[in-house]
Order: sequence, then C-alpha cells, then structure tokens
Amino acid sequence: MPKTFKTSEIVDFVVVGSGASGGIMARELALAGHSVVVMEQGPRMAAYEFEHDELKYRNLSGITNNPATNPQTFRSDATQTAKQMNGRNPLTYARVVGGSSAHFNANFWRLHEIDFIEGSKWGPIEGASLVDWPITYAELEPYYTKVEWEVGVSGLAGASPFDPWRSKPYPMPPLPVKSSGVLFERGARKLGLHPFPSPMAINSIDYKGRPPCAQCGLCGGFACEVMAKSSSVWTMIPEAEATGNCEVRSESYVFRIGMSAAGRATGVHYFDKNKVEQFQKAKAVVVCANGAETPKLLLNSATNSQPEGLANSSGKVGRYLMFNKGGGAMARFEHPLNEYKGANVTRILHDFYDSDPKRGFYGGGGFDARSGGPLTWGQSVPPGTPSWGQGFKDYLESYTYWMNCSGHGTSLAQETNRVDIDPELKDAWGVPAIRVTYKDHPDDIKHAKWQVERAVEIMDAAGASQIVPGEVGAASGGVHLLGTCRMGNDPATSVIDKYHRTHDVKNLFLCDGSSMVTSGRGQPTLTIEALAFRAADHINRFAKANAI
Amino acid sequence: MDQHVPTRRQFLTAVGNLASASWVALNWPSIAAAAEPMQHGHHAMAMGDEAPPTAITTLAPSEAADVEAIAGLIVPSGKTPGAREVGALLFIDNALGSFFKDQLASFRKGLGEFQAGFAQQPGVTTPFARAPEAQQTAWLAQVDKTPFFLAVRRLTVLGLLALPKYGGNKNNMGWTLIGVEDNHYWEPPFGYYDRDYPGFQPYPGTKPYTA
Repeated sequence: MPKTFKTSEIVDFVVVGSGASGGIMARELALAGHSVVVMEQGPRMAAYEFEHDELKYRNLSGITNNPATNPQTFRSDATQTAKQMNGRNPLTYARVVGGSSAHFNANFWRLHEIDFIEGSKWGPIEGASLVDWPITYAELEPYYTKVEWEVGVSGLAGASPFDPWRSKPYPMPPLPVKSSGVLFERGARKLGLHPFPSPMAINSIDYKGRPPCAQCGLCGGFACEVMAKSSSVWTMIPEAEATGNCEVRSESYVFRIGMSAAGRATGVHYFDKNKVEQFQKAKAVVVCANGAETPKLLLNSATNSQPEGLANSSGKVGRYLMFNKGGGAMARFEHPLNEYKGANVTRILHDFYDSDPKRGFYGGGGFDARSGGPLTWGQSVPPGTPSWGQGFKDYLESYTYWMNCSGHGTSLAQETNRVDIDPELKDAWGVPAIRVTYKDHPDDIKHAKWQVERAVEIMDAAGASQIVPGEVGAASGGVHLLGTCRMGNDPATSVIDKYHRTHDVKNLFLCDGSSMVTSGRGQPTLTIEALAFRAADHINRFAKANAI
Repeated sequence: MDQHVPTRRQFLTAVGNLASASWVALNWPSIAAAAEPMQHGHHAMAMGDEAPPTAITTLAPSEAADVEAIAGLIVPSGKTPGAREVGALLFIDNALGSFFKDQLASFRKGLGEFQAGFAQQPGVTTPFARAPEAQQTAWLAQVDKTPFFLAVRRLTVLGLLALPKYGGNKNNMGWTLIGVEDNHYWEPPFGYYDRDYPGFQPYPGTKPYTA
C-alpha cells in the first residue's frame, strides 16, 4: 500500500504538481528520507486508460485543462479587456498525475551554453528583458546527464557538431528513423546542414522496467499506453512512492498557500476530489505546478503582509511569460510516408541554434521533421485546395504523403507579457482564474518568418512535390509556459534565487518552466527536469543543515 | 484463435504482462491466445469496445436530412466512401447531443438560416436535401464561408476521422479513405522513404558514441 498522510500531520514537504519537475522533486526529497505529499489537480490514470482518441484529446480536453471548468482569459496588451477565447484556453497543460510530461511529444533537447549567457552576449534588446541566468550550462550539465539516465532518453551523443559538451552518452540508442526523418535529413544534408537523430524521452529498448516504443504514432497530446514515453507518471512518481515516504494525492487542487504571521509557509489549502476544502500541513512547500499555475497560485495566495501576491515583492510573479515561437512548412512527396506510424520526431538540426546579428534580429532555434494526427490535419487545407467537394476529398486521400518541417525558436522575455488574475472570472471551484496578456516581440515574428523560409528550402531540397509555407501569426497561447517566476540573484528583479528558493519566503521553493530566464529554443522539458534534480539537491542540503 | 490483429485491450494486456511492445508486435500471432484469457481480469477499456450510436436522437428528421446532404457534398461519395457512407450524420447528431451540445442552439439557428436562404433561391421548390445537386452546390458555393457551413465542415471531418465509437468512421472507412491502417503498434519501415535508409553517417570532425 502506498504511504498516506493525514492532513493534520506536518509533513516535511508538500510538492504542488506531479509533472516533469514535481515527480523528480518528490522522488529526490523522498529518497533523502523526507515525508512528502504530492498534490495533483487531475486524476491518476493507469496506462490502459489512455486512449488513441484524437477527438477526445485534441478537441475535448481529455486530459488537459478544460476551458469549461478551468477557464482563462486573453488579451494582447493591458489596454484591452481580456476575454475568454472560443472553446479553448490560451495556456494548455495536462491535468493528470504526470502533468504535461504525460502528453508531451518527448523531444529532449539540452539548452546550449549560449542560452545561459545571452544577456551578456547580445546586450539589451529594445522592449525585451534578455538577461543571463544565475547559473551556467556547466552547473546544469551533471543534472542533464542525471535526467537522461534516471528518467530515460534515447539519442546519439556526439552526432551533431553543434551539441554542447556532455559527460555521458545517452543510455539508449536512437529510435528508428521514419520517412519524414529520412527526407528531412536528405534535404538538409544537400544544403550543407547537419541533421542528426533526435534525442527523445522515449524508450528505444527495454529500460528501467519499461518497454520500448510500440511506434503507435500518437505521442504529442497523448499519454503513452505502453509506458515507453518517459513521463513522470511512469518514471519518477513510482520511484518516489517506492521509498515509503511519499503520497501522491490526485484530484487535489491547491488554491492557496498557507502562511504564518511570521511569514513562513505552513502548508497548502486545497479542494479534494469532492470539492471539499482541506489543508495539508507542511514544514516547507515546493511549487512545481507549471508556468501558468505556479504564478496563479502565488498571486491567489496574497496576504496582508504580501498584498501583491506571495513572494512577489519584486512584482515579477507572472511576468516575462514566454512560449517558443517558430515557423515551418508542410510538404507533400511522391510516395507515402505514413507519418501516423512511429514516434513523432526522429531527426532534428541545430545549425541555426545561435542568434546571428547578420540576420538583423535576435533569435535562434532548431528544426525537426514531424507529423500530426489525421483528424487535426484534415481540418485545414493548403491555399488553393478546395475546402469541400471532390477536390477536398482528393486532398484528404493524400494524408499519408505529407510531413511537417517545423522550426522551434526563441521568444524574448518581455515584462508586459504575463500571467495574472482575471478581475472577474472564476473557475468551477470558485478560484480566481488566469488572465494572460501576451504580444510577440517583433524579433520573435521576424525569426519565425525566417524559419519558414529555411523550412521551405529544406523541403525543396528533399524533393517535395508541393510545399505549403506556414503562416506566422500573433501568438495567442502556448504549451511551453516559461519564465513567469524567473530565477535571479537580485530580489528586486527576480522571484527565486539560483537554488529555487523564493527571495521572500524562506521555506517556499518554485521549480518548473516558470524558473527559466530565457526561453531556449523549444523543447524545454529536459531543462525543467534538470533544474528539478539540481533544486532538489540543494533543498536536501538546506534541510540537512536545518536551513529551511 | 486465428486473429492476427489484436484488439487494443488484448494488445495492452499482453504488453503489460510481457513488458515488450516490440516483442508483442513481432510475436502477436503466437501470443494472442495467451493474451486472450488475461483481458478478462482487466477493467473495461475506455475506448474501442463502446458501441457507437445507431439512431438520430438530436436533430429533427428534416434537419438531419439537410445536414447529411451538406456533409455528402463536403466529402462526396464515389468510388470510395464519402461522408454518407462513413456515418458522418450519426457523428454530428451524437456530438450536438452530447459533447458539443453547447453548440446546438447556434447550429440550429445557422441551419434555419441556411434552409431559409436556400428556399429563396430562384427555381428552388424542395428542401435542400431533395434538391438537384446543381442547386445544392450552387447554394453551398454562396455560403461556404459562413460560420454554419464551417461548423458542418468541421463536424463532417471529425465524423470521418474520429473513433467509430462516436458514430462516424463506420468500420474505419474514414481512416481507410485517407490511407490509415488501424493498429496499435508498428515496426519499421514505416513508409516508402525509410525502407532503404543506409544508417546515420557521421559528419567530419564528430565522433558519435553510445552507452
């Protein structure tokens, strides 16, 4: 029987969130002997309960935050009144045990050394807050390696001339290449670029008691039915529970952090699965709820002494929201690729990772070859293709001949892009809802358009018979939720220190996408998990020294 | 047992017990019989085993007839199945009566306007569903940017390609139409272009290495 705790027991740590970072945090704290309760908004699902149901998962919020019960509002700048969007939320995340690591695509890129020092490298950019991280790649590298081996990543170390240095290879060989990967590689090599096998948090062989990928083809947006995807729910959570020190409390929605008059966190207020309010006592709280829910929780936890929100003396909680903007192209080939088979991504390239002043704007990124589910694909047609009638049917019948060449890139941190609390809207629990304010930086738009041009070139070199350049529109939401409680040495300009402790509350720590100072180039989960291993090391050190 | 393609339940049961999806994929025929008894100890699956709706319960007959006619023009019948054959109407009716029920009122309003507008067209003497195809397509060409038409189009595509349990995609005909085979696992080669891939060739100056 898994360990359970009474709410009246004062546990050592409450971890809010069971996703990419929460699972690791729970495992590491529990392994160190601490009592841990993990609070997860969503339900706990067994592998067989996850489905190949594109309608449910892509259109009906099957395992994601549902706009009907977890609504959000959006506006592009602060002069506007934020409104709910038609049938969707701007910020999407999985709401199950395992969090967004349950439904991610499992692309596992490391940040490069440049990502941590771009403030120094490029200097101020008008309208943006591009600053250095308080840590370096070298400090995070051991934890990247730890993630790759403890969680499980497949890939080919040293294959890319642009890879940052690493201390160990991947524990598993790359997944088998699919036709999109072959064509992407063919086109890119013709152009003198350097595509390479994509690192993926998906088992390519039996690893740590989990089977290799069944190549079912439904990764992004879906949870893995055979547990081959290295999601927290199959990896870190079971190991945390196996310590006998950790309880994962699903369907438990934390809405406020309890605070003492002395300014210390005392536990968390939450709604249980019956929507009954409970309070779990704890000596310390670690919030790993994601870049949307973490700032929401802090802002909804305002006290008389911290009226602007908990740990928000800087006023930066919720600010600097970043996604990963990018541009790409869809391409049709002469023969079937059958992209609905196989893990979504098998080849990537990082030739354009660094920003280059010669382009005339800030921005860099990577490209990959990938696919999408048929139901989503069939909802739109390329320009010039009939949207109904025999011409549309002919297009539908060409599904297996298409692939995507997708660019993933930078989003600049801007103070005006933020998560805060909507003044009126509340969710199904009566909790004040998220309001998102977001407008792309002009350089983000320029870079995305530049990526579209490169994607077209790669697909053309690959021999595509038809290429559909992607449209670059204004961002109105995302799934990479980054930067909203940024890490820094200065309490006036950041929310947490380099050890993930909030500057304002000694026994309150934050670790997830909100901690990131810059956006990276897409695929942030490996970095979030490396940060979690590192943060847990330091939190355990502080606990041992009685410094929490 | 001579079944060579496992049900989802059988497949997942086998993977859960044998811990190797690839092994299961390669050896399915020989283990299917062994997997069969195990499934009975598992919970019912959330998909695949559910019976699809078989009757129109949300739309009125005249509404259903016109919606099916529109869907049939969006994905026409012919040598291969179209929206009519895959049961797109059943999907649309089921959706508007359940998971998209909040769209029903606006859908009905749009349909009413569509029907009224059609009735006013020169030479029209019948409801849309019974009109000559030339009249139907001429009217669709006039309204194919309206929210109502776009809603029918969206629902038709969903009905073509969503799981059969929702009412459409009868016997997987929608997937067959677009070239998708229904299976729980695949082995390379997946498509035409990865059949003869020679393997990753390192770049000068790099030294790929593995564990």
